[in-house]
Amino acid sequence: MKAKLVSLLTQKINRQYIQLAFALLALAILVLGAGAPMEGGGIGF
Amino acid sequence: MILLLALLAGWLSGLAYACWQKQSYQFPTINGLWLAFVAFVPQLLAFYLPVTRTRIPDILAAASLITSQILLLVFAWTNRKLAGMWLLMGGLVLNLAVIVANSGFMPISPQTAEHLVPASVVQSMDVGGRFGFGKDVLLLPEDTHLVLLSDRFLLPDRFHYQVAFSLGDIFIASGIFWLLLRQGIPLRLRERLKCL
Repeated sequence: MKAKLVSLLTQKINRQYIQLAFALLALAILVLGAGAPMEGGGIGF
Repeated sequence: MILLLALLAGWLSGLAYACWQKQSYQFPTINGLWLAFVAFVPQLLAFYLPVTRTRIPDILAAASLITSQILLLVFAWTNRKLAGMWLLMGGLVLNLAVIVANSGFMPISPQTAEHLVPASVVQSMDVGGRFGFGKDVLLLPEDTHLVLLSDRFLLPDRFHYQVAFSLGDIFIASGIFWLLLRQGIPLRLRERLKCL
């Protein structure tokens, strides 16, 4: 019973971490794609 | 990089605020995640992957940028209920407007570009041509449409890291910062702030 509970909890935490990682990645993609700053050195120099 | 720093700063500030208030940080629920990834593919190929960006002609790169930004606008619209998303959408619309008005790239003046790379490099480039493999095009201010929305702002000279950014970029950075910070503010406090 205890092992099952730990297993369920671990699965839930892992799933939450994965969801968080994907959501963060999507937001990072959104700002990278929406913005157009040019950095020193620039892309391709 | 500067926009990712705004994202990181917003997230860390939200986490710190939630921790200080002894509350858990509620990460926002994002709808249509797949759309963000799909929307970014054209930009990934045209501007970021060294293998592909050197092979894609400018006209296709411009079309990729516009298509990608329109799809990202749809993604932002599906998440418009999130705090800060309207600010972010405003920035995206401003950038998209100036990009469309200037043949599919973000304009930057030679004078601004000289703060980013050596003057000799800028002088060797054609005005009207792309600035490296990035999203920018080198244009004289008098030849630029919507010049106020172009990459014309710079960090103070004392910063080692130099970047040119637009008004739209400021909106985008502010929007993502507020979006992620606000998740750390407890609901009760949010209600109180609404009353002010």
